Amino acid sequence: MLESARTPGFNIYTYSEVEDVSGFVGNFKVKIRKKARYVNNDCNGCGACFEVCPAYGYDEFNEGMNPRKAIYVAFTQAVPSMAQIDMTKCIKCGLCQGVCELKAIDFNQEDEIVEVEVGSIIVATGWDEYEPETGYLGYNVYPNVITQMKLERILAPNGPTVGHLTRPSDGKRPKKILFIQCVGSRDLNRQTYCSAGVCCMISIKNTKLIKQHYPDTDITVAYMDIRAAGKDYEEYFTASRKEGIKYIRTNISKIHEDPQTHNLKVILQNTLINTGLKEFEYDLVVLSCAMVPAIGVEKIGRILKLENSQDGFFKEFHSRLNPIDTKIPGIVLAGVSQGPKSIAESIAQGRAAASSLARLMGKDKYRILLIRATVDKEKCAKCGLCELNCPYDAIKTNPDGAEVNEILCRGCGSCLANCPSEAITLRYYREPQYEKQIDAILEEI
Amino acid sequence: MAGTIRAQYPATIRPIRINCTGRVTPSLMMRAIGKGADGIIVAG
Repeated sequence: MLESARTPGFNIYTYSEVEDVSGFVGNFKVKIRKKARYVNNDCNGCGACFEVCPAYGYDEFNEGMNPRKAIYVAFTQAVPSMAQIDMTKCIKCGLCQGVCELKAIDFNQEDEIVEVEVGSIIVATGWDEYEPETGYLGYNVYPNVITQMKLERILAPNGPTVGHLTRPSDGKRPKKILFIQCVGSRDLNRQTYCSAGVCCMISIKNTKLIKQHYPDTDITVAYMDIRAAGKDYEEYFTASRKEGIKYIRTNISKIHEDPQTHNLKVILQNTLINTGLKEFEYDLVVLSCAMVPAIGVEKIGRILKLENSQDGFFKEFHSRLNPIDTKIPGIVLAGVSQGPKSIAESIAQGRAAASSLARLMGKDKYRILLIRATVDKEKCAKCGLCELNCPYDAIKTNPDGAEVNEILCRGCGSCLANCPSEAITLRYYREPQYEKQIDAILEEI
Repeated sequence: MAGTIRAQYPATIRPIRINCTGRVTPSLMMRAIGKGADGIIVAG
């Protein structure tokens, strides 16, 4: 990321949002809203302002588990390393302005709209962790029920506990930990899909990590199926079992809490050896939640006119033969924007997306099929129905008649079916051709 | 589609390939009915 930021010709807009995209392959015009940081580009991220700031907010990067100041850097390795002010928390005392040697703080900064011209677009919007509804498996009700992402931050050396494993209720180290797999995924009432084994592998990784640091910890993983499908994954899973981590095939429906100790009581049954229902007590429960499309991704989908699959991720051209392109030329997908996948697969898809666009943009010419709508301007009544019905925004009604943009047009024929004056024809799929086909078929009967 | 999933369908069903279901015009459907078709399935 840092290397990219330093490469000439590479423009990175962080803390920004795409507002509008127009044009077509080779000639996209993109409007980007650069949100106000209230800190200008002179900032070098020295951090003098954080120390004097008296207002606090929750650190989003650490899943809200520790406080941060109202003026902060999003996270330690953020690129560019620049402070920003959370105006919902700021009390506008101006102390930060006083200590900033570079005079970088500007309370009057406003959102800025930048317009860029690009040839092609890669959609890599990523994912968010599914947040279970309050009360489901004790989430948000019992303090010691946390999600995998929170555990991930607790175990991180730059996290809220500086890498020490503690549980939220009393800050003590949990001795008995339960991981619950498939929370919100492979569930007919929530997400029906499997998050491609990612949550399984994260659980296996974290169990190994905890076991290595604290070998006396008793770790159990409650799973439906461990989907360790991938290179070296099965061996990793086997290694974790050899280290003494217990895997129980079960389906947990409810968790109770001991109000005194905040320990969690779980009734479960090993469905592989049919032990009957037994109650177990755990210090910490980790919910391995599904991967869902990033929050707010519908907006960019609407702007780019991308289709969604049933699961909410963006729809690719073809799920098996072409999982990178979208139906719109010049716009490609990478990573979890297209569907749940691991880091290795995301990298592979990202590189494939970049190279497919490099091949497309490297040529001076763009080849189109001749199956495109054509307008007979003498017949055109300029009613505008074609423009209204075009799913690709490829036809515009001009004063001298409708005009087709042959690059945007995909040759679907929606315009000609709606044209009251029969002014539009589709090359290779003209009306008389269909009429002859119908006549020939019905002659036989 | 019916062919790729090896589904059986009567031999009297005759498919006509169209670019997009949006391409189907009422006049084509009326022509087929007029020429003696019992029904039309628009599938996409």
